[in-house]
Amino acid sequence: MEAIEVSHLVKQFGDLTAVNDISFSVPVGETFGFLGPNGAGKTTTIRMLTGISPPTSGKATIFGHDIMHETVAARQSMGIVSEISNVYTDLTGWQNMMLAAQLYRIGRSEREKNASEILKRFELYERRGDKVHGYSKGMRRRLTIAMGLVNGPRLLFLDEPTSGLDVESNLIIRDMISDLISEGVTVFLTTHNIEEANILCDRVAIIDKGHIAAIDAPERLKKTIQSVQSVEVAFLDGTSPERLDELRRLPMVNNARKEGDKFKLFTEDPTEVIGGVMAYAQTHHTRVISMTTLGPSLEDVFVKLTGLQRGGGVGAID
Amino acid sequence: MPSISLSGIEDRLSRELVAAWAIAKKDVLIYYLRPGVIVGGVLFPLFMFLAFTAGKLATPVALVPGLIGITTLFSASSIEPVSVPIERRMATFDRLLAAPISLNALVLGESLSGLIYSLLIAVVVFVAALVILMTPITNIPLIVLGILFSSLCFATLGTLFAAYPTENPGDIISMVNVVRFPLIFISGVFIPIATLPSVGQMIAYISPLTYANDLIQGGYNGKMMFHPIVDVAMLIVFILLFQLIANYLYKRFND
Repeated sequence: MEAIEVSHLVKQFGDLTAVNDISFSVPVGETFGFLGPNGAGKTTTIRMLTGISPPTSGKATIFGHDIMHETVAARQSMGIVSEISNVYTDLTGWQNMMLAAQLYRIGRSEREKNASEILKRFELYERRGDKVHGYSKGMRRRLTIAMGLVNGPRLLFLDEPTSGLDVESNLIIRDMISDLISEGVTVFLTTHNIEEANILCDRVAIIDKGHIAAIDAPERLKKTIQSVQSVEVAFLDGTSPERLDELRRLPMVNNARKEGDKFKLFTEDPTEVIGGVMAYAQTHHTRVISMTTLGPSLEDVFVKLTGLQRGGGVGAID
Repeated sequence: MPSISLSGIEDRLSRELVAAWAIAKKDVLIYYLRPGVIVGGVLFPLFMFLAFTAGKLATPVALVPGLIGITTLFSASSIEPVSVPIERRMATFDRLLAAPISLNALVLGESLSGLIYSLLIAVVVFVAALVILMTPITNIPLIVLGILFSSLCFATLGTLFAAYPTENPGDIISMVNVVRFPLIFISGVFIPIATLPSVGQMIAYISPLTYANDLIQGGYNGKMMFHPIVDVAMLIVFILLFQLIANYLYKRFND
């Protein structure tokens, strides 16, 4: 039995088809990344998989339970962490945990034991008696995830778990996700942080305009676009916009962008580009202080499949 | 198809009630146990009482049963139209929608908190009338039944209106008031139903406040239009009807 089985799922809002005939399955214990630009259909898919929103057509099962017809049974084995930190700020951290546990009908002694353990794990136990409106953004996020774990879920839906967080909260959450994965919990992760998906996920699906554009292991996806290799180079005298234009005009360079104190040059032939860069340095009386060749990243796959334009500077994807 | 057994039904019912109680407790802690809300709840019937007394519509003692009816109507249906849109805005409502409970449990939980608040305010009014005005009482169980069933009925009405998919409480409060204020005048609270024009009398029969007021009036002065069983049965019918409609609307508007 699969943890998630999705078959020809469609969601329409009037004339708009938000999710268009998607099918996939997630085996038990897998960490599955669900990537896509804003408005691609990620949240709509999660709302259907968690039974909040009924699909227009198609079917989804969670551990064999049809989410539309056996909603309660399907939800009992899942934890849901929304993109927004939806905690009750007028309640204490402890009261939030108790409420979440009672919604899953967990007995008093078990819910108190679970809540204590999880809050300690998230470094919130000392503040459990404080009202949440006094918590920082990172603490609220950690509490949101803690509430999603209080029932000991076999399947965890994580919607943008680390978006916009401080380093400490980010590390605690990433460690927790890694622990859950090693404990055999199935994780359905949506994120804008492609590197996060690359590190954590066994497989990723890339959804765009309601369709699944690709679905595979990150490394296999990267192999499909070997043409998008790159050379990363740093010069002694910095990164001027004029230099970026000059590098773009080198032979075999398809595109170039500035990344911090370096340039990233995209090419199908890194060897040729390395030679071109060295010649450029010589003719412009500068020195190359570092140069690295890189295979295609998951972000490159994402950009290629979704047809997104990279930003001129950092090339951030959102 | 999943099999249905008696123990399965018991388990499901127990799960739903635990969850409904958890939701009610959460609402009481967050929205009702605030000094401003409690003082406001008590001041509302006081001002209504003063307004009607100053207008010499009836003697102060005669006003008490109607006042208790109006108090349950307004207090029981006042908070959910505010709390649910706020929870939609904060996305905490999604947490409830995604919990392993039915919409019936969610609606019941929201209504239970309104019931608790309404009972608290009604008891304050009841005790104040007893101590200050020494209001004579004919049948206490009728008053208790009237307050209890009308509070649950109007709390469910408030939860029903809160199903309207908005994040702005004002949108819902204005809709609720369109229903609540006319009910005062067509339910025999201050104007006897027998003196209403025939259309008014027909509308009175489809107002839950008519039956709530009848029970409470019967408890105070022994004068009733209907048998108490009819009043209670009608209030139960309204509770179930509001619960079903609310359930349908929350399902419909979830998208």
